[in-house]
Amino acid sequence: MLSVFVFLPAVGALLIATLPRHRTADARWIALFFSAITFILGIVIFARLDHAAEGYQLVDHFEWIRAGDTGFAVQYVLGVDGLSAPLVLLTGLLGLASVLVSWRIELRVKEYFAWLLLLETSVAGVFTSLDLIQFFFFWELELLPMYMLISIWGSGRPRYSAMKFLLFTMAGSALMLAGFLVLGLQAGTFDIAALTANPPAEALVPLSIVFWLIIAAFLVKLPVFPVHTWLPDAHTDAPTAVSVMLAGVLLKMGGYGILRIVLPILPGEAQDFRVILAAIAAFSVIYGAILTLQQRDLKRLVAYSSVSHMGYVLLGVSAMGAAGLSGAALQMFSHGVITGLLFIVVGVMYDRTHTRQISDMSGLLHQMPLLGLVAIIAGFAALGLPALSGFVAEFAVFAGSLQAHPAATIISVFGVVLAAGYILWAVQRVFTGPADERWSGLGDATEWYELAAMAAMLVFIIGVGVYPRLLTDVVELGIEPIALIVQAAA
Amino acid sequence: MLLGQVPEAVVWAIYFAPVASTLLITAGLIARRLFGFAFHDAWAGRLTILAIFISFLAALWALDSSIGADGEALGFEPHLWLNLFDLHIEMGVRIDGLSAIMAVVVTSVSLLVQIYSVGYMHGDSGYARYFAFMSLFTAAMLGLVLASSLLQLFVHWELVGLASYLLIGFWFHRPSAAAAAKKAFIVTRFGDFAFLLAVLLIFGKTGTFDIHEINELALAGALSSSVLVGFTLGLLSGAIGKSAQFPLHIWLPDAMEGPTPVSALIHAATMVVAGVYLIARMFPSFEAAPAEVLDLVAYVGGFTALLAAVLGLVQTDIKRVLAYSTISQIGYMVLALGVLGYVAAIFHLFTHAFFKALLFLGSGSVNHATHTFDMRRMGGLRSYMPITYVTFVIGALSLSGVFPLAGFWSKDEILLDAWKYDKLLFVIGVIVAFMTALYMFRAIFMTFWGEYRGGEEPEAGHDDFSTHPHESPPSMAFPLMILAVPAVLAGLFALGSDFTHLIEGSLPAELRHGKPSIEGIVVAASLVAALAGIGVAAAVYLYRNPASEAVAARLGPLPGIVERKYYLDFLAETVVVRWILNAGLQRIADLFDRYVVDAIVNGIGTATRLAGDGLRRAEAGYVQAYTSLFFIGIVIAVVVVALLGTDVVSR
Repeated sequence: MLSVFVFLPAVGALLIATLPRHRTADARWIALFFSAITFILGIVIFARLDHAAEGYQLVDHFEWIRAGDTGFAVQYVLGVDGLSAPLVLLTGLLGLASVLVSWRIELRVKEYFAWLLLLETSVAGVFTSLDLIQFFFFWELELLPMYMLISIWGSGRPRYSAMKFLLFTMAGSALMLAGFLVLGLQAGTFDIAALTANPPAEALVPLSIVFWLIIAAFLVKLPVFPVHTWLPDAHTDAPTAVSVMLAGVLLKMGGYGILRIVLPILPGEAQDFRVILAAIAAFSVIYGAILTLQQRDLKRLVAYSSVSHMGYVLLGVSAMGAAGLSGAALQMFSHGVITGLLFIVVGVMYDRTHTRQISDMSGLLHQMPLLGLVAIIAGFAALGLPALSGFVAEFAVFAGSLQAHPAATIISVFGVVLAAGYILWAVQRVFTGPADERWSGLGDATEWYELAAMAAMLVFIIGVGVYPRLLTDVVELGIEPIALIVQAAA
Repeated sequence: MLLGQVPEAVVWAIYFAPVASTLLITAGLIARRLFGFAFHDAWAGRLTILAIFISFLAALWALDSSIGADGEALGFEPHLWLNLFDLHIEMGVRIDGLSAIMAVVVTSVSLLVQIYSVGYMHGDSGYARYFAFMSLFTAAMLGLVLASSLLQLFVHWELVGLASYLLIGFWFHRPSAAAAAKKAFIVTRFGDFAFLLAVLLIFGKTGTFDIHEINELALAGALSSSVLVGFTLGLLSGAIGKSAQFPLHIWLPDAMEGPTPVSALIHAATMVVAGVYLIARMFPSFEAAPAEVLDLVAYVGGFTALLAAVLGLVQTDIKRVLAYSTISQIGYMVLALGVLGYVAAIFHLFTHAFFKALLFLGSGSVNHATHTFDMRRMGGLRSYMPITYVTFVIGALSLSGVFPLAGFWSKDEILLDAWKYDKLLFVIGVIVAFMTALYMFRAIFMTFWGEYRGGEEPEAGHDDFSTHPHESPPSMAFPLMILAVPAVLAGLFALGSDFTHLIEGSLPAELRHGKPSIEGIVVAASLVAALAGIGVAAAVYLYRNPASEAVAARLGPLPGIVERKYYLDFLAETVVVRWILNAGLQRIADLFDRYVVDAIVNGIGTATRLAGDGLRRAEAGYVQAYTSLFFIGIVIAVVVVALLGTDVVSR
């Protein structure tokens, strides 16, 4: 089932790529069909996770090269646990949403949807791979569709932004690959479960260097200061759907990598550097929030807010305890739906106003009450209002980190005040004020595909906010073994 | 006790009835927008009133049971909300004397305000949206009051902030309303930041969020005094934000941009006293903390009461007079808590809710007739609006603490507690009492006496404009008359000791003090202060005594400083936000990000490209080619290593 989940979008991409020229318009429907089925599979995988079982579930496994001949196996292995299941669900949700918000794409439709589906496959592969080499394969696979989608369908300086994105990620992944090879060759296996069970005690190079080699790639992806500058450029110039995928799931690859690979395999090193991680996290939260306040372009504003919000993920990680790690996992999911929705809102507005400059807009609530409602809910979710999903995640992070890093936590909690500042400032400028002549002909968000995408996200934001156990029971299942390993290394 | 013990489901109904009306109205509005569903505006008002009426009845039943239990908590088990390792969060309802009284205050004032709103908001294009927000507010406020865990209280604390934001900015086409809404939310968030840290701290130390357990642990001495200081100061900061105490009071006067019934319900009777409620709820922790904490509470309250009362004197907008009065009166309640006047604080909260809601609704009624809040455009309204006039005067007399109205009794209890605890605070209290009477009767003389000065043109979309002001419709006049009853009579609870008994029932037995004994000098001082205030107001504003102008001239720059609100808004909005944050930090961070962080990255990129120029001919420059080469390289590396075995590398 997991293999089907991972490769179904790729099959859809192939099918679209082979469409005859005169059937181009069908690409949308094929993409919708495949992403919808993938989403349903994601729900099924999430719901069927056995809460009593330990370890990975729904494992698909075969060996390319057997261990007997070579000393280690080159293998294909997929599995989920409580850590990856929410991200699998998130990938399905945002994959579907990104197809829906792309409904009006007219340029090179076939290619566009093929790349979009391939992107979904690569991300799904990252979240389910249980082998370092395979993980790396999917990690790199994601670059190709991203580069194409930003540089061809982007706006502004798409080639610059796409290349910047590519170079940052590749620089990180080169280091990561080096780290993986050192680990794998030392242990004689690239199997994540095996490495977790028997982590190497020493290697060719000191493990602390290996730790930084690997985590560098993940910190770039999160991203945190000082390796965040690719993010605003990539977001601003990317088409809406790509921003949704980028903020919603691609950034989570970083946090996921830390939780899945760095902490379980190098717990001692993680403990050694926890204070540095906490400092980076707190600085990113505040630095990102202050920069967000400075933004005048709506999309850049949401992008910079991600730097601030992903700082909470790292803060939760740096606490090295069960509550903080759970908070980090929750924050990844929650930020995915909230920021995904914010990008959808900005995209829907851009479709109508053809501007993203905050100073150009005013009083849009008169023309777009429904979109305004969605924007306000998403905005309040982003500033951590209780009863919406962001609060639960941030609260768990703070509860986990206050004892471990009091100063970093207090600084980070202040981020919620700044978040209120930039969110409410933007809402005030864009939506309130007298009706503007210039926008009098504007329509509200009433197209079915827009409504479907926004409603799907809202269900998760409100559902998890009001009844967090929908998510937390699964997260707890996934975090528990990681927390045990990390705490044992303290 | 008239009825049997209230079942838990009925207590929950207090909360869930307005939750349901919020959801129904929202669903109706969305369905109307999307599918053309015929959702009539009038339904929104009726649904809200019905829901809050249900809450009111259920709250009365809860109060009845609470009286039967002598104010001690009824035993309801909490329910699991979230269980994440140590993070075990439960939600429950706690009914004791304190929460039962609060629930009745909230539901009764809310009910009357909603009835009033049917008339006041009639014809407004956002009529249904208004009631959706009002339902939301009432639900959140009741959630806050009934909460058995501190986190649950915090959750609803934030949700009332949301409702307040939405309602202050209700007329979002007015830039001033939108700005005021934002300001209210952000300023209170500074307090909430400290409140959140307090919740996190106490959870870290005790492993529980349960209000009762935390208080027990604090009293039992299980928490170090530094933890208790941090915890209570965090709570106090939250209260200072929400209850508009110095220095975070600056949001409340601006919040008057919201519709007047909103000001009456949220920014006078209920939400802004949530800070007082919070301190009362956690009172055992405050008593267990070092005594300096309660001293600080008392002086924050006393200072705010004085500062705001002075500001109330110079306002020309009738709602702003009431807003500063509210800040001042909440300062009184906070002062009372600081001098161990637990019962007095809640008693004053109780009476204040009625007479201040009455005054706000009265100002709304005046606005309905004149289309302005500017008292310089009013005058002479007593002959046009007799019901509004009489009820407004009743409210003002009660607020001023004139015997035997409600405000007299509750103010007197606070002054008694202050007298016993700290004479300086007592003196401040008496001065504030004098100034309260002064600014209230100044407002009455400016609004209702003299000649009518014409009002203003109504805003488009409102009622027809007539040259003569007229009495408000029955749906507005009726709540005024109803509210006048408790504004007169609510003080009678002070006569026996039942009320004290009920409220103190929610405290552990060792913290109950009973009723303070009456001191003649205190009663006399408070009465003289009130009557003197009214007398001075009459002399200056009714009879235009020339001595008053001479006095004003002697004050030098003081009135100017007061009129500029002591420059506190300037400090917050211009110095902190515009200079330090916008022009300072944001600018520096932005330049740093662009010209340092990003420039380094681009520099590395450029250097790499220059180095790569020589190799360029070997490559076509396509990313696809790079990527595929990259993969091929990896595969080769892996295969080579696989074939040769790990020895190659590890050797």
